[in-house]
Amino acid sequence: MGMMESVSGVMHNPQPLNLVDDILRPAGDNPVVQRGFATTSVDALMNWARTGSMWPMTFGLACCAVEMMHAGASRLDLDRYGVIFRPSPRQSDVMIVAGTLVNKMAPALRKVYDQMPEPKWVISMGSCANGGGYYHYSYSVVRGCDRIVPVDIYVPGCPPTAEALIHGILQLQKKIRRTSTIARS
Amino acid sequence: MTDTSATSLSDQLAARFGDTLTLSTVRNETTAELAAADLIAVATALRDEPAFRFSELIDLCGVDYLGYGQTEWDTESVSGTGFSRGVEGQAMGRFTWAERPRDSNHPRRFASVIQLLSIEHNRRLRLRVFCDDDSMPLLPSLTLIWPSVNWFEREAFDLYGIIFDGHQDLRRILTDYGFVGHPFRKDFPLIGNVEVRYDPEQKRVIYEPVSIEPRVLVPRTIRDDADLMQARAEAADQWREN
Repeated sequence: MGMMESVSGVMHNPQPLNLVDDILRPAGDNPVVQRGFATTSVDALMNWARTGSMWPMTFGLACCAVEMMHAGASRLDLDRYGVIFRPSPRQSDVMIVAGTLVNKMAPALRKVYDQMPEPKWVISMGSCANGGGYYHYSYSVVRGCDRIVPVDIYVPGCPPTAEALIHGILQLQKKIRRTSTIARS
Repeated sequence: MTDTSATSLSDQLAARFGDTLTLSTVRNETTAELAAADLIAVATALRDEPAFRFSELIDLCGVDYLGYGQTEWDTESVSGTGFSRGVEGQAMGRFTWAERPRDSNHPRRFASVIQLLSIEHNRRLRLRVFCDDDSMPLLPSLTLIWPSVNWFEREAFDLYGIIFDGHQDLRRILTDYGFVGHPFRKDFPLIGNVEVRYDPEQKRVIYEPVSIEPRVLVPRTIRDDADLMQARAEAADQWREN
């Protein structure tokens, strides 16, 4: 039961959270249509905008990239969450490190991360990116991409399924919703 | 019809090259071992002469025979204790740089193995060339005979440190920029000598001496398992019935 619920949560759009998401509701239930206005906090508005269009930098390094492609393809369809893969770091705000990060690639990864505009997040996908994984004792592999860039979400697996990656993206959305840029705690 | 059997190729090679080649045929595959000094002449003849016409070079790779034939761990005892992650490795490549084995009891440690294909005669041939000097393994480059060998020779140079005399562009091809050492050599430590990390003060990726200890993954080896033997016996029976 719990399994089915979580799968359903992955496969369908998230429920409205009574924040800015109210404007997405159908007309009869929509406070914007009924009253003509809606009130919210700037933080909620910003987080709604940020979570609604997380454009990931395409950084496929190994077999995890194939699962990342599955997540973007028609069956699981990351477009439904506003996740559209970008070929340029200038247009991205999420980087999915999908695969084995080797020493030779590390400066390039950091350069691409530095080129992304703020605010930016990093999802580390798979055992190799999380901590070196199978190649932990290798002479040429970085023992976790968090040695190079700060990581927000670690997705375990070798490789993680496309569903697991989507779960990680939804977890990142939750994490972003928790941040308050304007309001002081 | 062309005779494609390896025996006839072996005979042909013996008749043409004589003592230059040391021939052996295992599982219908012919291997010719030769000296580095003869490589260019033999390779040119193998490519051009109508009896051979090895027009295509499939692969060239390096081999390090240091520790050849030594087992890394005792499989008999390990099979009883099962899967372990923390075994101390005994074989080559499982040491830190300071503890690397230095004995040179193995004369002619480095070799290069070349796989050839004759499309005209539908035949394959393997050449093995040992390098004479272990401290500076040197072989003549085949780039003027088979241009496709270019990157293979760069790979063998990168991973084993074999120098190919006459190669136009002998650079590293796989390892990191500025990499020190040749990682497929058996005395190269598996964990390497450096590791990378981002330094927030210098704002760049820096190299540091490696910080972890080498460890060996020992998979469980199953030799005399009851189920396995039963399955083997059943398969043998079925084989006889058919």
